[in-house]
Amino acid sequence: MKPSLRAGYRRWLGALALAGTAVASGPVAAQDQQPLVIARLLEINSLDPHRAFCDTCQIYLTATYQGLVALGADNRSIEPLLATSWEINPDQTEFTFHLAEDAVFADGSPVEAKDVKWSFERLKNIQGSPSFMMSGVAAIETPDEHTVVVKMDAPNSEFLGILTAPYTIVVNSDVAAEAGARAGADAVSADTAEAWFLSHSAGSGPYVLDTYRVDDELRFKRNENFWGEAPPIAEIVIDHTADAVSQAQMLQSGAADIAMQIDPATAETIDSDEVVIETVPSFNFIYVAFSPGAEANRVPLTLEVRQALAFALDYDGIIEFTVGGEGNPQASPIPNGFPGTTDLPMPVEDLDKARQMLADAGLADGFDLDVVVASLNVYGVDLPLLMQKIQQDLARVNVTTHIQPVASSVWREQIVKPGIPFTARFYAPDYYGSAQYVYFFGMIEDAYWLTNASGGQPESLINPREGELLEQALATADEAKREAIYHEIALQMIADRIIVPVVSPNLVLAYRNNVAGVRYSACCNLPLAELSLK
Amino acid sequence: MIALSRPVLARRPDWATLPVLIGAAIVGAWIIVALTIHWWSPYDPVQLVGRRLMPPSAEHWLGTDALGRDVLSRTLYGVRHSLPIAALVVAVAVLIGFLLGAGAGFVGGILDAVVMRLVDVTLSFPPILLAMAVTASLGPGLRNAAIAMVIVWWPVYARLMRAQVLAMRGREHVDAAVTSGARPARVLFTHILPLCWSPIIVNASMDFGQIVLLVASLSFIGLGAVPPTPEWGQMISEGALHFYHWWIAAGPGIAILTIVLGFNFLGDALRDILDPRSR
Amino acid sequence: MARYIVRRLVAMPLLLLGVVTIAFLLSHFTQADPLTSIVGERQMNNQAVVEAARKRWGLDRSLPEQYLVYVGNLLTGDLGISFRTKQPVAYDLKLRLPATLELVVAAMLIGTAAGVALGVVAARFHDRPSDHAARLFALVGASTPVFWSGLILLYVFSVQLGWLPGPGRIDARGAAPPFVTGMYTLDSLIAGDFATFRSALSHLVLPACVLGWTMIGIVSRMVRASMLDVLGQEYVLTARAKGASELRVLLNHALRNALIPALTIIGFSFAYLITGAILTETIFAWPGVGSYAVAAARELDHPAIIGVTIVGGAAFLLANLLTDIAYALVDPRVRVGGARGS
Repeated sequence: MKPSLRAGYRRWLGALALAGTAVASGPVAAQDQQPLVIARLLEINSLDPHRAFCDTCQIYLTATYQGLVALGADNRSIEPLLATSWEINPDQTEFTFHLAEDAVFADGSPVEAKDVKWSFERLKNIQGSPSFMMSGVAAIETPDEHTVVVKMDAPNSEFLGILTAPYTIVVNSDVAAEAGARAGADAVSADTAEAWFLSHSAGSGPYVLDTYRVDDELRFKRNENFWGEAPPIAEIVIDHTADAVSQAQMLQSGAADIAMQIDPATAETIDSDEVVIETVPSFNFIYVAFSPGAEANRVPLTLEVRQALAFALDYDGIIEFTVGGEGNPQASPIPNGFPGTTDLPMPVEDLDKARQMLADAGLADGFDLDVVVASLNVYGVDLPLLMQKIQQDLARVNVTTHIQPVASSVWREQIVKPGIPFTARFYAPDYYGSAQYVYFFGMIEDAYWLTNASGGQPESLINPREGELLEQALATADEAKREAIYHEIALQMIADRIIVPVVSPNLVLAYRNNVAGVRYSACCNLPLAELSLK
Repeated sequence: MIALSRPVLARRPDWATLPVLIGAAIVGAWIIVALTIHWWSPYDPVQLVGRRLMPPSAEHWLGTDALGRDVLSRTLYGVRHSLPIAALVVAVAVLIGFLLGAGAGFVGGILDAVVMRLVDVTLSFPPILLAMAVTASLGPGLRNAAIAMVIVWWPVYARLMRAQVLAMRGREHVDAAVTSGARPARVLFTHILPLCWSPIIVNASMDFGQIVLLVASLSFIGLGAVPPTPEWGQMISEGALHFYHWWIAAGPGIAILTIVLGFNFLGDALRDILDPRSR
Repeated sequence: MARYIVRRLVAMPLLLLGVVTIAFLLSHFTQADPLTSIVGERQMNNQAVVEAARKRWGLDRSLPEQYLVYVGNLLTGDLGISFRTKQPVAYDLKLRLPATLELVVAAMLIGTAAGVALGVVAARFHDRPSDHAARLFALVGASTPVFWSGLILLYVFSVQLGWLPGPGRIDARGAAPPFVTGMYTLDSLIAGDFATFRSALSHLVLPACVLGWTMIGIVSRMVRASMLDVLGQEYVLTARAKGASELRVLLNHALRNALIPALTIIGFSFAYLITGAILTETIFAWPGVGSYAVAAARELDHPAIIGVTIVGGAAFLLANLLTDIAYALVDPRVRVGGARGS
């Protein structure tokens, strides 16, 4: 970090301030660094594993529950967890798992096949945000207490990857059922356990939930019955700290040990040699999206027009401007480093071409474009601010954008109906695998963006080639072959020009220098059990 | 400031006190800025004119914001949103309050009962909570914030107006007019209303600053102005995200402070003049 | 007098019902389908899920029906379930009210103490520089947006000087004291835990000062005016003539009598403090009712918006009632009318 003159000045004033610290709580010395404090925005939508869907939820669920398998530290390989071994049939339609016999939940009861079956069924039937992960599951069989067989409707070579996601963990079914949780087909209306999960965890993970107070703190304590190796730190608190500057401040003063959402510009202002700052590429990205089917369109957003506008964006400028250059361009809606993304053509700015294409479409004088964007700051990028930059870019080809920032829930409603001609949004992965992106961004049947961008008339935008390729990929066991297919899908999605990724922000990992084990996981954000103190 | 609504007419109006002059100077200066800024603004308030997050310098006296826009220009342009909104809200609130309040006071009966219960209930809400609830329903935007402000403020004037009309009704010249067979509306408009204005004016002058402050507050919490509008509360909330770069919030903060201070000076002085007891 | 008070007490429940009705209606004529706050992004175009949620949250019934259910539940203390926190609104408010109360009470103490002191100084040095300085200070306080002064104080005292901690109620490393009142400073004293007390107090200082500053103006103005009244009266002049020390005259004779009317004004400052608390809590990440209201309004958490509005309205009504009664007792000529106290 850049040394700054201000630091000396501050220390000098600080020395004068001894009287002040008599009342104030001064910096906390390292030895009382228990519990470990993580400063982060608590944007929790639910702590019910099958309804939760947020970045903090990933951290929480990974700490308090366990899945059948886990994602390795390389963010690619799949490792055993509750399942010690597994077999997959050649068609990729039948997955057999053998459970660890010594695995127990936090209440001491054994983890059994029925818990796995119940958890997967509840995830599917409760129709929450992560329920899509169980789509395609036809039947779950439990031949004995420690064997689970999952049968698919169709080949799904990505199922093992899905099982590394934090939402596919195994819940203690007896305890949860007693609290009103239901897994049957009527779960969507019969289940009443969501509030219970706000004060209880029911998993086999290294930690258990101690307290959760909305907008305040999420506190973990060590699971005393943990069947694996006990985690080094006995108590961890995630302290609700909304903005990057406060997080940086807490880190420097010693009030926090780890800060998770410091943006690069704020990181530059940290000048303490007790703070370690690592900047790593992330799998998160921000994209803009066109909806030709939106009712508010004043001119048809044809493929040519979409391409022209994509050429009019100043990609380098956007990265500079949103994250101070601490980010990477991304070619397709599949994030850099995921299967199939090697050597994809990056988006380029080409104003002449953009103007030419618009002129060819009879729009040389430009047109008006309505933009609705959620008032959110995600991964250090303020979406309305990003849109203001894009507004300036598009003005260069005479396109006038009318930006309307709205509450996130309003955005969610409007994107479905009446549609939003042009918008910006974000995405973070839940596991390592590319099919999740095709399901969401691809122009394939029932994909989120096909439905929304087409204004409910999918046939206008559907790209049959993508569906065929995805089917092939899901039936292919060979990894290299699969990557080649995903590469082709990525090219198709680029050509669709519905989704245009603009930046994949780097992640700033900031922590005090006596903390070890801080790393970024593609599925699970920050694995708490790996943290320790030096 | 708080209005006790018991203005007593001045015995010796002494308008040229220092606070009045200071208040008038500040408010006058801002009005001039609002009217002329497009001729002399250093930069365009919504264009990117420099690198982002630049500290104050000779080119950008108040630095640049997170987007590279000139903070000084945005601050100066901000008055074009705050002042007209405050004026509009006061005008509409006075008009509604005037019509309903005077009507209620003059007609009495059911109209009076309905209007006054509505006034009572509306005044039972803490202003900001009511404004938040309204904007949450209508959606963000300055227009909706203004509607919320009117909903918050009209009852004050309705109640004030009604009290004035009731007090006037017993007066001789009014009774005389009524007995001489003048139409009620005529009595109301020619004999009563002209005498009711002074407390309204005092109240309005004091409410101006409060409305500026409340609109900025709504924008600050994301329920008022939407970007890229250079609105002060909105600018401070952008500044709060980058508060190591203190200059982003400095300009709009000082702007709100001075303009509200100006109105408070005026309002305070007016009250001193009209209510000698608190002198 | 008694009739006046009785009439006001009888009107209270009716006004409350009006508040409930308006709050309820406001939240039902709204920019977005409340479902969007409940149903996840991916389910919005899944008809089955949307219908199930509609049914589960009672949104499939007609508006009058929903209203009757709501009022019925309200009578049993049930304010519905928050879309955002998934917990009963009444439970959320119960957890958060003490935080707001702690902040507001601390701000009132600071604001009153400073306001009285400034008022006394201003009256004693009537029309001299100290008088003007005191009035200016109070006026600036009433004119500064708390969300800006809060930022400045945080920047100076927490970031630059490091004297006081940043946002929050307590050091994250410590745990909250056992729940008695919910006010951390009190609870930690009750538990005899001085480290926690110090932590809670140091977190309270900045937001309470920011909030307290806004009400100094009202208090000091009132104290100054009544001090000026009293200082001119016979018994004060007599005390002076008898050679009582100046301080004794000021505090014993003048202030004591001047405080009675000034005290009634403190109730009025409640409105100020509610407005201020909402913004102060946002700046200082104070997990009270104010930040709850802001989050609810931002995320269209309608049950929470209605709940906060009703509770805020009730508190506001009560404060106004008490103030009016106190005021009427002190000065029977005055019938306090519809002042927008902010």
